[in-house]
Amino acid sequence: MTSVVLALSPFADGIPLFLDALGAFFRPSTLFGVLVDGLAKAALYVMIASGLTLIFGLMGVLNFAHGSVTMVGAYLGGLVMVLLVSQETGDPTRLLAFLLGVVVVFTALAALGGLLEMGLIRPIYDRPPLSQILLTFGLTLILDEFARIVVSFYGLQPISEWQAALATKPAALGQRHDLVVASVSGLKLFEIACGILTVVVIWAFLTRTRYGLYVRAGSEDSEMAAALGVNVRRVFTVVFALGTGLAGVAGVLLAWDQSWGASVPLAVETLLPAFVVVIIGGLGTFRGTVAAGLLVGLIDATMTWWFQNAIAFTGLPEMTIFLVLVVVLVVRPQGLFGVEEVGGH
Amino acid sequence: MAISPSASGVSGANALASSLRSYARDHAVHLLVIAVLAAYPGVYAVAVNSPFSAEAVALLPRVETMVAVLYFGLFAVSFDFVSGYTGYLSFGHATFYGVGAYLVVLTANGKIPLLPASTPFVLLLVLGGLLAVVFAVIIGAVSFRLSGVYFAMITLGFSQVLYVFVRDWGYLGSNPRDGVAVTGRTEGFEIGVPGVDSLSLAVGQLTGDTVELLGVVHLTAAEVSYYMVGIVVLVCYFAMQRVVHSPFGRTLVAIRENEERARAIGYNTFYYKLGAFAISAFFAGIAGGLFAGYRRSVTPESGFYFLTTGDALLASIIGGFGTLAGPLYGHLFDEGVREFLSKGGSGGGLLPYLRENVGQGTMETVVYNGMTVGETIDVFLNGRAALYVGVVFVLFVLYVPNGLLGTVRDRLILSDRDD
Amino acid sequence: MSLLSVEAVHTYYGDSHILEGVSLEVDSGEVVALVGRNGVGKTTTLRTIMQLTPPSKGRVRLRGEDITGTDTHDVADAGVGWIPENRRIFSQLTVEENVHVAVPEGRDVDAARERAYETFPDLREHRYRDGGTLSGGQQQMLAIARGLVGDNDLLLVDEPSEGLAPLIVSAVADALAATAAETTVLLVEQNLPLALDLADRFYVLDDGRIVDSGETSEVEESDERLRRYLSA
Repeated sequence: MTSVVLALSPFADGIPLFLDALGAFFRPSTLFGVLVDGLAKAALYVMIASGLTLIFGLMGVLNFAHGSVTMVGAYLGGLVMVLLVSQETGDPTRLLAFLLGVVVVFTALAALGGLLEMGLIRPIYDRPPLSQILLTFGLTLILDEFARIVVSFYGLQPISEWQAALATKPAALGQRHDLVVASVSGLKLFEIACGILTVVVIWAFLTRTRYGLYVRAGSEDSEMAAALGVNVRRVFTVVFALGTGLAGVAGVLLAWDQSWGASVPLAVETLLPAFVVVIIGGLGTFRGTVAAGLLVGLIDATMTWWFQNAIAFTGLPEMTIFLVLVVVLVVRPQGLFGVEEVGGH
Repeated sequence: MAISPSASGVSGANALASSLRSYARDHAVHLLVIAVLAAYPGVYAVAVNSPFSAEAVALLPRVETMVAVLYFGLFAVSFDFVSGYTGYLSFGHATFYGVGAYLVVLTANGKIPLLPASTPFVLLLVLGGLLAVVFAVIIGAVSFRLSGVYFAMITLGFSQVLYVFVRDWGYLGSNPRDGVAVTGRTEGFEIGVPGVDSLSLAVGQLTGDTVELLGVVHLTAAEVSYYMVGIVVLVCYFAMQRVVHSPFGRTLVAIRENEERARAIGYNTFYYKLGAFAISAFFAGIAGGLFAGYRRSVTPESGFYFLTTGDALLASIIGGFGTLAGPLYGHLFDEGVREFLSKGGSGGGLLPYLRENVGQGTMETVVYNGMTVGETIDVFLNGRAALYVGVVFVLFVLYVPNGLLGTVRDRLILSDRDD
Repeated sequence: MSLLSVEAVHTYYGDSHILEGVSLEVDSGEVVALVGRNGVGKTTTLRTIMQLTPPSKGRVRLRGEDITGTDTHDVADAGVGWIPENRRIFSQLTVEENVHVAVPEGRDVDAARERAYETFPDLREHRYRDGGTLSGGQQQMLAIARGLVGDNDLLLVDEPSEGLAPLIVSAVADALAATAAETTVLLVEQNLPLALDLADRFYVLDDGRIVDSGETSEVEESDERLRRYLSA
């Protein structure tokens, strides 16, 4: 690693610069900005990852197609908003269009998820866990290429963000707002709100509904749940549908975010962080996913600041996130909140 | 295939005879496959000059493509060697491919201390393999404490860290994101006996040697590359095949079937797994080196990135997980479909064939809502190989879990039992 | 017609043949003990009845109706409760939630819980605790309570006294006796005195086959007839 440090010219130029940066970092306005940034990233990570963790917790299926579903959700949600929003549309209507996009995407992708589970994944539950990884991996190939076909058919560039969808964002979310000690972007606050709402809704589903109870019971011991009369197979289908629906909803929000945006590569860009968050939190625990989302979001925001202000290594945030994954797996393989023996052989 | 120990004398002799037969047949199959592969450039050359030229060009992979089938096939075989035989999904396997590839390119650019730019290619291949072994031992020592999904994820994590690293490290080249090309070495990368010119031939699309023998044999650069890469791949394949059929290989299968039991019998499964990982990394490194030597450039996406591992996984599943040779056929299928449906349509495939052989009228016939046949093909077929390969992949996972080669072998063993 | 009849079932775990033609009958209101050494297939017999490990040959009938190959939750809905070895309490669910899972859909959850708490007052006291934090005896009570609230006609009880202190065993035995008064029980139990005390009839299972059966009143625990199949 020493050679890396040497190659990072600003770093090598001198310790004083680094100390300057350190001082700048601990200024309240910087810290607050990084905090908001981190919470916004955390909100997105939790939204991306929670469907994945629900599905894994209950069925032991690591769904490689999860990111592709988010990508499809981004396009579908973007489409709804582009159709409803014109240049003169006011902010409240734009928000309504967003809500409608969320509803449409959730419904459509939950239906897709349910069908996929019943048609393709159900026949292979009794095979080794690798088969399910393989199957969902195959699904990503199909979904991604299919999206590429449809998107190019309508004359869009599949690899760059869909600008028209980005433009449907309400003006208030595009501006910066003064808050406490620093000015923060409206979109970030909106993302944090969406993240909190998602966590609350999932938490309420898990702890306050009969189905949520079945999900938690089935995640721990699906055989015992079946023996107590729970139709575990139906619960599997419902959870797979909910998980894919949630992945799609996260996509709708990402379609508004300049640093993500609706594009085909979004599938991979979201799949990897989702894996990281889910594994760090402990595969299959929702609580762990929320905690890990916060951790990864804050680390990401911190590293992004350092890369922008002191260390000229573009990949710093991304590399740190994967390093955290590796370190957590080495030190605590079951994740922060995980129970041992889930997800092994 | 196992000979039952309780068999009586007569059936024991029968079993012996049958196992001899199957041994002969196994090697007959090997010879046959090698013969077919060796004849391929000749067959291709004849076919494209035959009356069925247009069809041959459209359907048969070009020799250049076959070179890629060979070196990437070797990578897929090495992936299968560890994942298919031990059951541990090495989702960061592209790391080793990338290590081999980057070593070749960086050495040629004089970026590796102590290694001159003119280091013989064969030596670089071995060094790339060994460097991959070092990576494998470090990564494996940590990762084999885990199993199942966690093992797949930690190896993925390692490879992504390295991917970001080579993508953004300015030392590697002026624009590492777009990859690194060989700029510091003009002569080709030669495969053969180092130092003996007459026994070495250079590979590469532009820098490869051509061969003229007695005015009868003319080999183009692509054909020379094909044979030279083929020889290396063949040697590597047989080396892995030896390991698989050794007691070591049988222990790996025992670990896959039931690791607890293997441990209870007294095997230190950790060292077996680590050994398999290291061996597999060695050959993956060589495959990466061949790739870089032939293409004379490498990108972070072609080495290190997790979708490169995904391509090997694809080849393994279609060809047959845990069959060693299967991934080679799996990758041949993958590349074949890709070329047939290639977007550019240069050098064969469906599009140029249709352009030349189907009337303009047919191509411009409107199918639906103003869309012509030509446009339909352009939207749904050309460059869309991933869609169809993906569908085939899913169908294989569901209905042909043993892959092409595994299924063929099962059939043969069954018919063997019948007679 | 018997409540439960198991007819010559053969059951495999992978390649191992565990049950080799087990047949047994349980009539309504009875308590039947299934005894035998470790590893002879007692637990597998219960799992086969629940269709958790469906038989490859033979039939399982409930009130004369063939349930072989149906889903486990359908067997449960038909009124069969399973109180497994090691109790298998949902450790991250509270006592209340553990009971709730067992209440059939459409039934009054509060009333069902109330019934469970009346039978096991200890559980009411700990109702907000996670299942995983309960003692072994409390977990066993909770497991039986889950069987009770399921509106079951037949309870399959597997090793209820295993791993419990003698004092707790007698409390569990009382709970089982109270349960048995209300419903039919097929009991797998290593503790022979307990089994003979609770049961009306018994079957002896050895190497995947029923080798003896009879009324518990005919035998004593020291009988050669039982001992040859039970001592190691």
